[in-house]
Amino acid sequence: MESLSDTLWDIVICGTGLQQSLLALALSRSGKKILHIDPNEFYGSAEAAFSLQDAESWAHRVSTGSGGLFAFASITKPEGAVDLSSSRAYSLALAPKLIHARSTLLSRLVSSRAYRQVEFLAVGSFYIFRPPQDTQNPTLVRIPSTREEVFSTTDVSSKAKRQLMKFLKFVLDSEASPQLETWQPYADTPLTGFLQQEFNMDAELQMYIITFTLSLEGNISTKDGLAVIRRHLSSMGLYGPGFAAIYPKWGGLSEITQISCRAGAVGGAVYMLGTGIKEMETVENEVKLQLTSGDTVRTRMLVRASDSASGQTGINRLVAVISSPLSSMFQSIVEGAPRPAVAVIAFPAGSLSTPAGRASEHPVYLSAHSSDTGECPVGQSVLYLTTLSTPDAKAVLERALDIFICPTSGDEAPQVLYQLQYEQRTGPDTFEVDGPIFTFPAPSPSLSFDDSTLVPVREAWKRVMGDAAVYAEYLVFDDRDVALDDNDVYDTW
Amino acid sequence: MADSNAPKPSSSVKLVLLGEAAVGKSSLVLRFVNNDFQENKEPTIGAAFLTQKCNLPTRTIKFEIWDTAGQERFASLAPMYYRNAQAALVVYDLTKPTSLIKAKHWVAELQRQASPGIVIALVGNKLDLTNDEAGAGGDAEDVGAEESGDARKISTEEAKTYAEEEGLLFFETSAKTGYHVTEVFTAIANAIPETSLKTARGPGAAHAASRTEEQRVNLNGPRDSNAKETCVC
Ligand SMILES: Nc1nc2c(ncn2[C@@H]2O[C@H](COP(=O)(O)OP(=O)(O)O)[C@@H](O)[C@H]2O)c(=O)[nH]1
Ligand SMILES: [Mg+2]
Repeated sequence: MESLSDTLWDIVICGTGLQQSLLALALSRSGKKILHIDPNEFYGSAEAAFSLQDAESWAHRVSTGSGGLFAFASITKPEGAVDLSSSRAYSLALAPKLIHARSTLLSRLVSSRAYRQVEFLAVGSFYIFRPPQDTQNPTLVRIPSTREEVFSTTDVSSKAKRQLMKFLKFVLDSEASPQLETWQPYADTPLTGFLQQEFNMDAELQMYIITFTLSLEGNISTKDGLAVIRRHLSSMGLYGPGFAAIYPKWGGLSEITQISCRAGAVGGAVYMLGTGIKEMETVENEVKLQLTSGDTVRTRMLVRASDSASGQTGINRLVAVISSPLSSMFQSIVEGAPRPAVAVIAFPAGSLSTPAGRASEHPVYLSAHSSDTGECPVGQSVLYLTTLSTPDAKAVLERALDIFICPTSGDEAPQVLYQLQYEQRTGPDTFEVDGPIFTFPAPSPSLSFDDSTLVPVREAWKRVMGDAAVYAEYLVFDDRDVALDDNDVYDTW
Repeated sequence: MADSNAPKPSSSVKLVLLGEAAVGKSSLVLRFVNNDFQENKEPTIGAAFLTQKCNLPTRTIKFEIWDTAGQERFASLAPMYYRNAQAALVVYDLTKPTSLIKAKHWVAELQRQASPGIVIALVGNKLDLTNDEAGAGGDAEDVGAEESGDARKISTEEAKTYAEEEGLLFFETSAKTGYHVTEVFTAIANAIPETSLKTARGPGAAHAASRTEEQRVNLNGPRDSNAKETCVC
């Protein structure tokens, strides 16, 4: 077998995050000589999913300052949390993003046939947290997201229903005249203002709509907000009734990175975990890399991801395993719909307060995952809470968790069995090309998958393929498996 | 063949094959999936993915089979294959003692790293190269290639005892004659607890569970394949 250093590699990919892995998938039938390395001992980089043991060693590394974009990771296990199962019964995702049905990521996974190895689950309802008012307890209100639901909901007044209906209709045609002319003057101003001025919506109704954007700032622009809501509405029902977004089982994007790397391996790429780049040097049109494994390799191209933070605000995250299946949150609301495995709860800006009495500055989003995601054992759930980093962020997330698991009507409160907290910084959001070195942007902390993530992947693919790059063939593959058709089953009895 | 009148619950089971190079992993899969055997199979590069359905009296199991290459250079691939796998077939060549040692390493690694509750089958392959009645397949000419006529180096007893100690299913097979190949997969299908389908209860019960199809979102569904949006990604 050729040794690593005897080969002139066409490409060395460093890191197994989503973009690097998709590139490996895209090149998996190209015949190129590919060396795919990762300094971590696990796949997925910033999109990995962890067993409890993995999470522990990751948190340790992050807290000692070698976590790249991640910082301040800590784990707490309340005393006497006896219900925690074995480490490998959990798969905690660093990137628990929803994927809208209209996302190009899904059409790429379909055209490349990689989707066959992923199990996708439906994302169900969106809820909004209503803080206690007067004598009322805090409540969770389910946001109606289709006309039928708006019609049948009892949570909003009939006036609000009319406003919502009008808005939903508007959004679907918002790229055409005269709708376009209506919103364009507001394009770069906050969507809330537009909703108030053009649709007369009150603050609560505005909040319903903002929630669908999953905007971390909470003040998304009219232009971006309308685009996201249009994506949501047009995704509704695309792959089945009652859901607009899906979630890959076993840890979200982590699963996509792994099937992509597998495809790379099937195509002949060489994989090395626990191996990073120690030094590099560009000599003419080649990059000479000294790997941490001690090997020196030469490659025509190097692709890696940026992991230096930019000045932009990052996020705080709290991942909690709780001792309740939260069954009522994961019910399908439409006939024939698959049982959802994910529910989203928004705590609008200002709806939470810190122990010091300050109101939350930004929204908090809580993504609840049932055991159907494979991320926890049956009978438990995993909660991912996210908010923009501020000095109060950690306290605000803890507050949101407390409120969420607080029993509503005499039920026993679920126990928090495990908590992982960390900060994720944001890095540059553009890719960089420096001769033979291609650098992907840092992963975005957004809560739903953004198709712009795919742009640099195709760009990198184009550079590797050179003149042989044909866009119509990008990620379009035949099935590799030699499956018999459905009638040819083994009868084994 | 399959009784198509009564739709049975169907679930997918991810299965991974592990073992030293050339013990016959790919050949076992080829026998199971295509009922075929190739004398000089090209070695697997990286890994291969195949599917095959297996009909049980009360349900249909769709095996999603990951056949790995034995000569992996940096031990970085296997974790990707056995991650979330519900079943593993660890294969050795019963004419080659080192291959059982390697198989034991794999079993240990699976027990340490794979999903809790993974069903592991230990399989001694190339039974046709031994004098055993069962595996010989009646083709004595072919079998007698080895001078002694019996190339067996690992006794059934030894491997079986080990398998019992570790709680593994155990079979001796011949991918060449097809002896016991289907039985391995059927035994695995039967060993995946039925309770772990949808009604599983209790922490951990369903983690390595087979999955029901009803919850799966099918991406081959109604979506219009040529979405009109122009996309540069
Ligand atoms: N006699 C005999 N040869 C076999 C058997 N199974 C596989 N082989 C041969 O062993 C070699 C390696 O088989 P292969 O399936 O590629 O092994 P793998 O590397 O484990 O996938 C090939 O030449 C096969 O033809 C068997 O049951 N009996
Ligand atoms: Mg093979």
